[in-house]
Amino acid sequence: MFRMILWKEWKENLWKLLFCGAASAVFIIMLFRMRIIPDFSNCILISFIQMFVVPIVYSLDIFSGEVSNRTIHLLFKIPVQRWMIFFAKYLVSAIGIVLVFIISAILMELMTLGREAPILFLLKTNLLYGLVGLLLFTWFCVFGCQSRSEAGSLVIMASVFIGWGIVLLWSSVCNVTWAERFVPYSLILLGKNNLGLAGIIFLQMLASIAVLVVACYRYASIRRYL
Amino acid sequence: MRIRGIIYQQICQLRWHLLACLGLIMALPIEEAAVSFKEGDGFYSSGMIIVSLMFAPLLTGLIACANVQGDFEEKRYIFWRSKPVNVKLFITLKFLTGLVASLIIIACPVIFGLVLGIFYQDYIEYETIQFFMPFPVLIAILMYSLCFGCNVLVRRTARAWLIGMLLGAFILVIPFILPLNYKDFVSDIMFGPWGYYPAIMLAASAAVFVFALYAAQRDWHLRTNLKGLLWAGTGLVFILMMLFNSQVANIKVLQEKEIDSNWRGRIDMDYAGDKVIFQGRRYVNINDNKISFSDIDGNTNSIEAPLTRMKGYRTDTYPRDGRLYKKTKSNLYSLAIDEYYRKEDKKNIYEKVYLRSNMPTGESWKQVDELDISDCLEDSTYPSIAMRLIGNTIIAFVDKSILIIDITDTGKLKLIGKKLNVFGYYHTRRKEFTIPLVPVEEIDIKERIKLSIDWNYDAYNMCKASIVDIHDDSISFFLVSDKDIARFNITGWDEENIYCKFVTSRPFTILECLTGSVYFNRAFVKSGKLYCYERNTLMVFDIRSDRGIRKLGHFVRMDYEIDDIAVLENGNILLSMYWSYNLRKNHNNNFKRYLCLLENPK
Repeated sequence: MFRMILWKEWKENLWKLLFCGAASAVFIIMLFRMRIIPDFSNCILISFIQMFVVPIVYSLDIFSGEVSNRTIHLLFKIPVQRWMIFFAKYLVSAIGIVLVFIISAILMELMTLGREAPILFLLKTNLLYGLVGLLLFTWFCVFGCQSRSEAGSLVIMASVFIGWGIVLLWSSVCNVTWAERFVPYSLILLGKNNLGLAGIIFLQMLASIAVLVVACYRYASIRRYL
Repeated sequence: MRIRGIIYQQICQLRWHLLACLGLIMALPIEEAAVSFKEGDGFYSSGMIIVSLMFAPLLTGLIACANVQGDFEEKRYIFWRSKPVNVKLFITLKFLTGLVASLIIIACPVIFGLVLGIFYQDYIEYETIQFFMPFPVLIAILMYSLCFGCNVLVRRTARAWLIGMLLGAFILVIPFILPLNYKDFVSDIMFGPWGYYPAIMLAASAAVFVFALYAAQRDWHLRTNLKGLLWAGTGLVFILMMLFNSQVANIKVLQEKEIDSNWRGRIDMDYAGDKVIFQGRRYVNINDNKISFSDIDGNTNSIEAPLTRMKGYRTDTYPRDGRLYKKTKSNLYSLAIDEYYRKEDKKNIYEKVYLRSNMPTGESWKQVDELDISDCLEDSTYPSIAMRLIGNTIIAFVDKSILIIDITDTGKLKLIGKKLNVFGYYHTRRKEFTIPLVPVEEIDIKERIKLSIDWNYDAYNMCKASIVDIHDDSISFFLVSDKDIARFNITGWDEENIYCKFVTSRPFTILECLTGSVYFNRAFVKSGKLYCYERNTLMVFDIRSDRGIRKLGHFVRMDYEIDDIAVLENGNILLSMYWSYNLRKNHNNNFKRYLCLLENPK
């Protein structure tokens, strides 16, 4: 049954993958052909925008869509644990986000091969931004799993972005190193602080698991859904 | 229809979205102020205002969508369309109310920063307000209109927002595809005159608004869950991209030649008349955009002019990198100022300075003449030395003294004049200021001005380059810092001083500095272009454009190091660079040297 739920979610969210992948490809091809700024700067620009936009696209109706389409009561009547439904939604979104970044990273690398940046440098950079995007999406799940509208999901996602920005600013100005390590953005600011990549990823993974457990609990405890 | 009533209803309908957006846009400035206050600097915000403004287009799009959705949601739409409502007036008021509310929200962090700045004497720079603020506001207006139009068509808040953002991003890129000769984001768009780009943005906004009016009146909307629109839009973007897109700002590489050289130090290229000398050993010849070398004196064993050692002394030389060359009909002469010093208590004590000329003779360079100029030394621990060749005259600076030396066709050096203790460094930037004029009557006044400015600001490179641009009757010079390129105009001069005035600056953006150095240490002007290079990046700017200091192109190789560049007569650029994987392993495979011929960026 879980596989069926997974397949349903995959089919429902396939447009997001295609939309994000196509839009990313268009802008990557366009900007990397125009070369108004150096390749690495183009990579950072595109990756930065993707880091925010791709999780937003996935967060729009992943949870709230069931409410606005009035299908949530049907979904909850299927003999599957609610945490499985949540996990299927999260898994499909996570795979989608990762795939979008893999596609764009490969495209970037192919377009700039032997041009300005060392081999695989842009690919790694883009994937790192993708990882941050995925972490931000994971944090969205805690607050957005009970969202009832697309606009609400959008606001929650924007709040997650800005909220972590606030934590980053506070922790870096006030030198609160332990807090800085939990900020998803710190993964892309590794050059500016002395935290090890492996250490930060480990901490972020732990935090993500904890966050997913909470999100799962919140999703399972939805009572009024229509 | 009561206009006031509609406006009031619209504001009430939007209040929660407006509050949410206000909270989001004010979060970072307030936090910055709080953190500054906690750190004891005072309760003010400056840096985060720009960051907040960058988010403004996203938020105005959200307000637009919420604005439309408020009355276009299925049941509400049926309700108000059943009333005798003037649809065009209603939609216009709706559009304008939301737009004004959005602009007020955008203004909040700016007002917050300005007011707190007044209290805490931390004023936001005028350049920030002038240059960085109008652009996000324009984009915000564009995004608002696009999201508004999309939501009228699509009628699902978040998806309309998404499509609006995508269209907005595409419209922002379109001017670079159109034949508007846009190359530089900063001077053509951000700081450019009110030209095509804002016009495109405002025209697109107006067009979308008019479209939204008609769409609302005629109840055009998509029921297909957007799939058709998404694919049609994406396909259109692809087609446009494939049709019009081309390279615009990177400097094209005409040829890249690997040089067989084990030398791990810096390799310079020097000018000898209209020719370029590579590493002081070979002429570089360019034929049909192909690089080839020829030996300086026709002998394969020629080497660069060596330093003349002196017993008991260590040696320094000016130019530190490369040499100054004088080419006559029959010969080539290398010129250098050799400095001799002793080590005393960890200090260098300079005692002797010689100007020497050398010429190539078969397997080596032979000294032709030398001139002892040690009596000009004033600061024995850190002397300031520079020189420039103007025709047959060498102007040499040693501390505060100037020497005028004639070089004959046979390479002999003849001292024409020596002026002791007449000149000193003078560093000032911004506003109006004066620079002392070099008291050398033997050369043209424009050359004197050029010399004075270069001696003051770029003595290290003045033997082969200049930061001064002389065009028709105007003279200007350019200083490159980690933040910007500043332009100073010469407003006049008299027998003693040159009068200068700061005119404008062109800041470096974060994106331009990401690849390499944030400080372009080496910069010079040639034929109306400013060349800046450091580490792995070369940037060329047009300094005579009506759009200000405008970037024409860049050349970046991230894991390479640029040694030197030489600009050829036709504007093409020769660039010497090396690639090293790990120098500690000291293996030849880890080190490669290249000479590149780059196309003249126009």
